[in-house]
Amino acid sequence: MATDPNSTIGRATVIGAGTMGSAIAAHIANAGVAVDLLDIVPDGAGDRSRLAKGALARLLKTDPAPFMTRRAARLVTPGNIEDDLDRIAASDWVIEAIVEDAGIKARLYDRIVPHLKPDAILSSNTSTLRLADLTAGRPADLRRRFVITHFFNPPRYMRLMELVAAPDADAGLIEALTRFCDIRLGKSVVRAKDTPGFIANRIGAFWVQSAVNDAFDQGIGVEAADAVIGPPMGIPKTGVFGLLDLVGLDLMPHIAKGLRDSLPAGDPFHAVDRRHPLIDRLIADGYTGRKGKGGFYRLNRTGGAKVKEAVNLATGAFAPAVKQRLDSIAAAKDGGLRALLTHDDATGRYAWSVLSATLAYAAQLVPEVADDIVAVDTAMRLGYAWTYGPFQLIDRLGAGWFADRLGAEGRTVPPLLALAAEAGGFYREEADRLAYLDTNGSYKALERPPGVLLLADIKRGAKPLLRNGSASLWDIGDGVTCFEFTSKMNTIDEQILALLGQSIDLTAQTAKAMVVYNEGDNFSVGANIGVALFLANIAAWDQLEDAIRTGQTLYKTLKYAPIPVVGAPSGMALGGGLEVLLHSDAVQAHAETYAGLVEAGVGIIPAWGGSKEYLLRQLANPRRPGGPMPAINQAFQTIATATVAKSAAEAQEMLFFRRGDGITMNRDRLLADAKAKALDLARDYRPPAPQDGVRLPGPTAAEAMKLAIDAFRLLGKATPHDAVVATALARVLSGGDTDWTGEVGEDDLLTLERAAFVALIRTPETLARMEHMLTTGKPLRN
Amino acid sequence: MTTYRAPLDDVRFVLHDVLDAGRLAGLAGLQDATPDVVDAVLDQAARLAETVLFPLNQTGDAEGCTYDNGVVRTPAGFPQAYATYIAGGWTSVTADPCYGGQGLPALLNFVVDEFMTSANMALAMVPGLSHGAYHAIAAHGDDALKATYLPKLADGTWTGTMCLTEPQCGSDLGLIRSKAVPAGDGSFRISGTKIFITAGEHDLAETIVHLVLARLPDAPPGTRGVSMFLVPKHLPVDDGGATRPGARNGVVCTGIETKMGIHGSPTCTLVFDEATGWLVGAPHKGMRAMFTMMNDARLAVGIQGLGVGELAYQNALAYARERRQGRVPGGRADDGVAADPIIDHADIRRMLMTMKAQLEGGRALAYWTALHVDLASRHPDPARRRAADDLVALMTPVVKAHLTDLGQDIADLAIQVHGGYGYIRETGIEQLLRDARIARIYEGTNGIQALDLVGRKLGEGAGRLLRQVFHPIDAFLADHRDDPVAAPLTGPLAKAFGRLQLATGLIARTALKDPSEATAAAHDYLKLLGLVTVGWLWARMALAARAKAGGPGADARFLDAKVKTATFYMQHILPQAAAHAAAIAAGAGSVMALDADAF
Repeated sequence: MATDPNSTIGRATVIGAGTMGSAIAAHIANAGVAVDLLDIVPDGAGDRSRLAKGALARLLKTDPAPFMTRRAARLVTPGNIEDDLDRIAASDWVIEAIVEDAGIKARLYDRIVPHLKPDAILSSNTSTLRLADLTAGRPADLRRRFVITHFFNPPRYMRLMELVAAPDADAGLIEALTRFCDIRLGKSVVRAKDTPGFIANRIGAFWVQSAVNDAFDQGIGVEAADAVIGPPMGIPKTGVFGLLDLVGLDLMPHIAKGLRDSLPAGDPFHAVDRRHPLIDRLIADGYTGRKGKGGFYRLNRTGGAKVKEAVNLATGAFAPAVKQRLDSIAAAKDGGLRALLTHDDATGRYAWSVLSATLAYAAQLVPEVADDIVAVDTAMRLGYAWTYGPFQLIDRLGAGWFADRLGAEGRTVPPLLALAAEAGGFYREEADRLAYLDTNGSYKALERPPGVLLLADIKRGAKPLLRNGSASLWDIGDGVTCFEFTSKMNTIDEQILALLGQSIDLTAQTAKAMVVYNEGDNFSVGANIGVALFLANIAAWDQLEDAIRTGQTLYKTLKYAPIPVVGAPSGMALGGGLEVLLHSDAVQAHAETYAGLVEAGVGIIPAWGGSKEYLLRQLANPRRPGGPMPAINQAFQTIATATVAKSAAEAQEMLFFRRGDGITMNRDRLLADAKAKALDLARDYRPPAPQDGVRLPGPTAAEAMKLAIDAFRLLGKATPHDAVVATALARVLSGGDTDWTGEVGEDDLLTLERAAFVALIRTPETLARMEHMLTTGKPLRN
Repeated sequence: MTTYRAPLDDVRFVLHDVLDAGRLAGLAGLQDATPDVVDAVLDQAARLAETVLFPLNQTGDAEGCTYDNGVVRTPAGFPQAYATYIAGGWTSVTADPCYGGQGLPALLNFVVDEFMTSANMALAMVPGLSHGAYHAIAAHGDDALKATYLPKLADGTWTGTMCLTEPQCGSDLGLIRSKAVPAGDGSFRISGTKIFITAGEHDLAETIVHLVLARLPDAPPGTRGVSMFLVPKHLPVDDGGATRPGARNGVVCTGIETKMGIHGSPTCTLVFDEATGWLVGAPHKGMRAMFTMMNDARLAVGIQGLGVGELAYQNALAYARERRQGRVPGGRADDGVAADPIIDHADIRRMLMTMKAQLEGGRALAYWTALHVDLASRHPDPARRRAADDLVALMTPVVKAHLTDLGQDIADLAIQVHGGYGYIRETGIEQLLRDARIARIYEGTNGIQALDLVGRKLGEGAGRLLRQVFHPIDAFLADHRDDPVAAPLTGPLAKAFGRLQLATGLIARTALKDPSEATAAAHDYLKLLGLVTVGWLWARMALAARAKAGGPGADARFLDAKVKTATFYMQHILPQAAAHAAAIAAGAGSVMALDADAF
């Protein structure tokens, strides 16, 4: 089989239309690959494919959405395993995602294996069974192409895939599948050994179980436990109890049972494997987590208000959750993780007991579960959303310090940790490269796969070409620069604008092209409205208007820059962040990009050229029927309702991105793809020709839009201030005081944007929206 | 001998012609507060201040309080004056009618406070503290505490204190050591030593209600572990439906301080020894309850600065008219005396104009803020209530610090106008400087006020509180942009306002990066905000005066003086804004450059 990822998997089949199976099918469809979703024929079913069809219908209603576009949903064909065996025969990859029972799985394999194409891959999504058990007694021809592909829930969003292959598996086939999962599905594929729970759940279950046990034993409340075993350790704020609520309390006994039955007697897991009567009672009472009546936390809606309550581990009673302000966490803010673990109070001791046990456990699992520490760190980061893997955490503590403290407490120091303590850590920076400690005690350079380019690697040991408090410009090789936002949440502020201008100049003088990219969680959540709000509160109207004018000027400079600029977003690209992309020559977007002109939510309109660019893009859309009015209305509707695209593909459908813009599925490949696109554009690059004037309808159209707004108001779908904002937007998009006979130039539209912005930000309602967004993170509907 | 006449004309001008305080009568619960009623109350307050409190001001200072074995006596005449004061209902002006109060606006109470403080600051402090205690209990106490104590605090037969300070704990209340242990019956046993407790022990009332900050056994460290307790001097007993003081509680006064000023006010050391008390508000939430009392008290202290300043100004003016020294060019050589009244000398005039401009401007600032206390609690529109609350929160530290600074400056200028006669005790002028001095210290030093303004109020809601001042000033300037008559006022105001905007933006930006930059600028910023806000109020007063001048029965000289004083403020006082702005722009560098041990 060829290793071209575009040709390896032309069609796939998923068997088992449960939560995981159906969502895996959806994600394969997201990659543009046709997929069959099959399940059993229920007894006495009228529609023999009822299960798969029902699953498909559920997928379309699930939030967060398993599909990136509705188009992708059409690539999934439901069916059943009795009537559709011929479809299995057409598949290059068959994924089994049925109930975790080795016997039932074996009977399924018996039925389908005869229908597989000769080189088709069969994989199981099992999380608790072992490859050796699933392939026992199977012929060598199946073992060579049978693997475990363990996706994490939800498969579209969780970047980890653990892959287990037998020693005698076909290396070429495995390599091709890995590349497909990497490039087309966007997963980081970690090779795990055929051991119980593989990597992430093996450590994760131990960690969760330790944290729960110690909270009971040490009298730590669930809120305090989650506050400590959470952000201070680089762990999501759900902590442990919140995580159990999220995945379901009843899942824990399942995973524990799997590990209990399969781990060797000496494994430390057995020592922490305890059941707690309170948790059994919660499950029995329907407190199975967020899918049930609540779990360790619940929302009490009696009396109209929503009160978040937490269970008392000692009494089992619910009481309003108490926001934690712990001295141990305050200590960690100043003194780092070590200060937390050495803080001499109940939560400090709790943090130490949980994390030391977990990290020591992880340190003894290499090479048992994976060949190297990098695989373990990657698995915990991408499978459990930890900011740092266990070995990175040990390095933050100091491997020597950690080993010494374990020793001082008379606990076993795992050999690999002893090695790291002696060598000076699990990772070290060698000039401009990162190296990790091998199990034999030597450091090995961390190699990125071809096509993976990380700004973090480039920055290691390098100096930026330009830098200020909110942005940097980097040389990423081959004559391409990378403009990076570094402000809080990558909000656009005056410093970013200033450095953007300088960066365009410097790139034009010394390089060929520029990429706008960063490795934050979000490309940019928009302009810094805190600054705008403050200026408005102190009535500094001139400064505000200047700030708008500066942004307009720089974004226009970006548009007409003498070098090509490629925007490369991932995560949220909102407001002023999306306006950067609208002014770029091209976009190479990570598939998980959420783009929108959301200014209306805070009572303003896009005024750094965003309204103008989006209008021009709608007007120029060749697929638009019926003259300019539908285009204007489309722009109006999208901006006035602050609609956000839920994927890069959807952003393309909404014209936030152009048809020719690229989408990268794997986050780690985004920069390399963007750079390639930039170099492509740099050949014979000509800046865009100055924008011609456009003919716009003027006040008559604004009046028509206003009638539409009033109708929405009457229906209760728009608030009074929505109407004010939309009216201001209508004036901009209809061209102001013009009519079809006149031409409206680019700068005229910018003037209209500015005027609308300045008028809106003087209203108390807009200021209230901005303040609400800043303090709660949610829009105010006033 | 000093003299005092309550400045009724100036007060009425601010209330009626500038602030339109009559609109308060349109708010629920304040229907009685019509301009006529307000004027009548003010007349009576003026009479009480002038004839009952003021005659005891100098004698009280000379005699002071005495301490003997736990008993404190106030100066001669004070008990009788206090009895007259409460008999007139002056302790219950703003109290809730259901506890025997009159339900009148807070604004009116602040004006009464001004008169009483001018007349006798030491005595006026006692009802002031009762007022704060009343509000803390009303806002945070349970129903039983309210039913027992509020009627007594309202009618003035019992008085209140706030017991915060301890020997090791002044501005930093996190250092409080006093302890409270649950007694098992819902009450607590409070032990500890409190110092500097105004009216902690005296002979004016039946008993005293102490509000004490202390720590519960399970208290977290710092201010997060402070709770408030009500500890009466006598445990109350129910006497057939009426409450009266019963057995003595475990709190004794072990001494009073010898002080620079306010000699008529006893400043006590109180020792609590297993005293019985009750929790006010939630456990560990004492700071919140304390601030209910404190915010009100801070405005009241600002008005003390105003009150003492008014007395000083009136006497300096009288002396300047009467005292003759030297000749001025073209002077009054008409009556056979070889010297002119010193009021004719430009330097004396400068001092008098400074006093007058600062006082009348400060009064407008205080009452504008106080008006919003009522709007914040009673306006029917929640958005307006919140806006008013924002304004009060922002301006309270400014009123407190700026007006107490002015009070001291004016008392000091009054001595200067008096020359050597101002420096001797007999004249009664030096007392005012001694009395005024404390107002810059207690209820949070003026430095603490500036930190409150810059550290907490300025950044709140990305400047939401500032909007309540900056938008009205901006709108005022826009409204009068093309008014050539107003230009001499609006020109300097616009310039100073621009400096204030720049300085505000600068502090907001630097504070994010380096908090010490903001704290080093805090004092200058408070002064800048105070100067500009008063400047705006002066411009409004001048325009109001001009508008009124053409009307029937207008006092042309009075109104003309407002316009001229406003112009003086713009030309001779508001320019200080530039100096404060320059200091802010210079930053903390040279403030902190010298090592602490290099001094």
